[in-house]
Amino acid sequence: MSVDIRLASSRGKGADLYHGEDPGNIVTPGDVITADTGFMRGHGTYMEEDCLHASVAGTVERVNKLVSVRPPKTRYNGEIGDVVIGRVIELALRRWRVETHSRMDSVLMLSSVNLPGGELRRRSEEDEKMMRSYLKEGDLISAEVQNVMSDGCLSLHTRSLKYGKLGQGTLVQVSPSLVLRRKTHFHNLPVGASIILGNNGFIWLSPTQDEQDGDTGGYQTNLQPVSHSDREVIARLRNCVLALADRQMLLFDTSILHAYEASMKHTVKELLKPEVIADVVDLVRQRMELEGS
Amino acid sequence: MADVNLSEAEKTFILHSVQDNFRDDGRSCEDFRHMEIETGLISNTNGSARVRLASTDVLVGVKVQLSPVDPENPEVGRMEFFLDCSANATPEFEGRGGEELASEITALLTRAYGCPSTMDYPSLCVLPGQQCWLLYVDILLLECGGNLFDAMSLAVKAALFNTKVPNVTMTKDEGGIELDVSDDPYDFKRLDVTGAPLVVTVNKIGHFHVVDASEKEEACSLARIMLGVTQTGTITAMKKEGSGSLDADSISDMMESAKKVGVLLNKSLLKALGEEEEQGTEAVGFLR
Amino acid sequence: MPTDTRRIQGPETSNSPYDFCPTATSDPALLEKQRLDGRDSAQMRPLFLRAGVISQARGSAYIEMNQTKAICAVYGPREVQRREDFSLKGQLTCQFRFATFASQHRRQHQQGNQEKDLSVQMLEALEPAVCLHKYPKSQINVYVTVLQHDGSVLSAGILCASLALASAGVEMYDLVIASSAAMYNDLTISDPTVQEEQAVLSRVGKGSSGMLTVAFMPSINQVSAITSDGGIQFDTLNKTVRTVIDNCQKLYPVLQQTLVKHIEEKKKGISSK
Repeated sequence: MSVDIRLASSRGKGADLYHGEDPGNIVTPGDVITADTGFMRGHGTYMEEDCLHASVAGTVERVNKLVSVRPPKTRYNGEIGDVVIGRVIELALRRWRVETHSRMDSVLMLSSVNLPGGELRRRSEEDEKMMRSYLKEGDLISAEVQNVMSDGCLSLHTRSLKYGKLGQGTLVQVSPSLVLRRKTHFHNLPVGASIILGNNGFIWLSPTQDEQDGDTGGYQTNLQPVSHSDREVIARLRNCVLALADRQMLLFDTSILHAYEASMKHTVKELLKPEVIADVVDLVRQRMELEGS
Repeated sequence: MADVNLSEAEKTFILHSVQDNFRDDGRSCEDFRHMEIETGLISNTNGSARVRLASTDVLVGVKVQLSPVDPENPEVGRMEFFLDCSANATPEFEGRGGEELASEITALLTRAYGCPSTMDYPSLCVLPGQQCWLLYVDILLLECGGNLFDAMSLAVKAALFNTKVPNVTMTKDEGGIELDVSDDPYDFKRLDVTGAPLVVTVNKIGHFHVVDASEKEEACSLARIMLGVTQTGTITAMKKEGSGSLDADSISDMMESAKKVGVLLNKSLLKALGEEEEQGTEAVGFLR
Repeated sequence: MPTDTRRIQGPETSNSPYDFCPTATSDPALLEKQRLDGRDSAQMRPLFLRAGVISQARGSAYIEMNQTKAICAVYGPREVQRREDFSLKGQLTCQFRFATFASQHRRQHQQGNQEKDLSVQMLEALEPAVCLHKYPKSQINVYVTVLQHDGSVLSAGILCASLALASAGVEMYDLVIASSAAMYNDLTISDPTVQEEQAVLSRVGKGSSGMLTVAFMPSINQVSAITSDGGIQFDTLNKTVRTVIDNCQKLYPVLQQTLVKHIEEKKKGISSK
């Protein structure tokens, strides 16, 4: 039993939160980014009178000739090939509607899932009737973005054994811009848990599954109680991820593992307190700078 | 409340975590999340407070006003609760969306504060049988992250602690008694809130119960009881909520938890408020 | 403000003359020896119940606990009116009303806060008992009207509604039995009348006193609603919860018998009137 009531005035002022690397060129809507006409207009910018203006507040990014502005907090802008985690919100004709923190609901077509047992065939009427038994409202899935429609709606697919329905675990939601794009977003962390870092800012933490369990395509969920030690690891990872996100640190396997190691001197529930968060994140930041990554 | 839709497996995970007494953020079943409190941050009110419990954010303003006494209780002051579930918290509250929740919460607070021992109501009566102070307690919900009832009761108590009621001088006139409300900002009296209750919600999840449930945990719980608990452990209101039923034996366990946590919560709150009073630091307000 | 000369000028607000009468409430301490209606503290009022009193309703019931009288009608299951409320689980709605003449003061016709609160509490008491998953896309409406208010109205309303639901053939896990008690220091008064309720609530704050209502499902041993008012010592409250649950057990056979009788009469083809 513990109750922790503190005063707002005892909280540190905003200034000491930031001591990291140079944030780059920050612009606000309407700012002129460049008057040079040699650049191409990217996301978050507009062209007027031969000048490139910012249309969102954020940092300017440049890839060759393409200039774009990236806001720190945004809905998820999907790109083909992204790994996402979503929650089924509705069943419709031959498709599931999935919430992925994108501007519009994403769509998972019945034809773009692996049927249980991994059969490859045309989807019959029976399959349509069985849709709710595969995935129903509230279920979480991991999937890949197959296509981005012209209106911005994402079409997903789960045609690989690594994708599919998610079982027991915890979902953490952070801003999509904090998830670093990497070659792989699925990790079996050495501390004894699996993590899926969705590009859409949904992060899934679960106990590491045995290899043969993956063969069912995730349609059969294991509802056996998770062991206390696994639970503790997951809870610690969850709090670490939230701590890093709270201080705007990029999330990828190394930063999360660093945070996990830095947090070991605290109990899991202490990681909810702001001063502990600051301490852990500072340690991570120092270590990252030291290792030059 | 914002609807959280969870999959079966997630629910099972949470259910087992409660069974294990190790919740998904590492808390045990009777732990509260840390909270932040500030009083006196709105200058147009007689008393105000803001409570931030994890991501639940509540702002309370108390305004006092002279008004005729309630004919059924002519010798005491009055208190009225009003809750605005603002659409700032979630778009579902837009229009009349939040009204049901609002009336539920205000009904419970009214009941919890209805017990005369909770506040010194007679001192709020200016002229027995005629005029008394009417305390408008207005609650504004800014963000919901679970456990609204408890957070609101905390904010209400803190705001009442902060409330400054102007002193009134009475002069006898030939026509009757004239009341003169002091306009000196330093001529006021404070309210005694040592007896004021806090609401503690105990959620039943599986065969066990938790306090201060997160939104996800609330989605797993079919039944909960709420108790108004004072610092001495007196229960000023009790209510069951939710579509499920409770085992006869588990009720007394849940009540026991609520009482234990409630007493501790009351003590911690008054301690924090006392500290703030002593320090007298400048307002932090809404800047983070 | 311009005045309307055609209208008789009166004071802006008016009060019922009853407000100024000395109330008949006695000191609850006196109740220890003798209650006003001669019961002893643990004794409940006689319970009279009848099912099937409103012929056009799907189910109905009437309850009388001496001077507390209430009537209940159940309509449905029928299709949900508004499509956006679609749900695979059925909906239960409850409306708890006092007749305007039910209490000492005349009540306003509009639903007051107390009535809204009681409606919600009744809904929460009944909802766990009804097998709502058997009624997808439909709603069941329960209407309770208190004809005469003499204390323990919530428990009377719940008892009546539970019987009406059962007589309507709505699938239920168990009958819901409710009972109330008033507490004053160490004294527990079962099934209080309105005078006793007022006596106890007016003494709130001076020692431990208050009211408790529990709704209970005896066969599955589950509490479906619990609500208390006033300032009560924790131990007293805990003890009273058990007492009230025991009282509920005592009332259970009465409801069962009434239902059995109701079914028998129906079988014989005799109108239940």
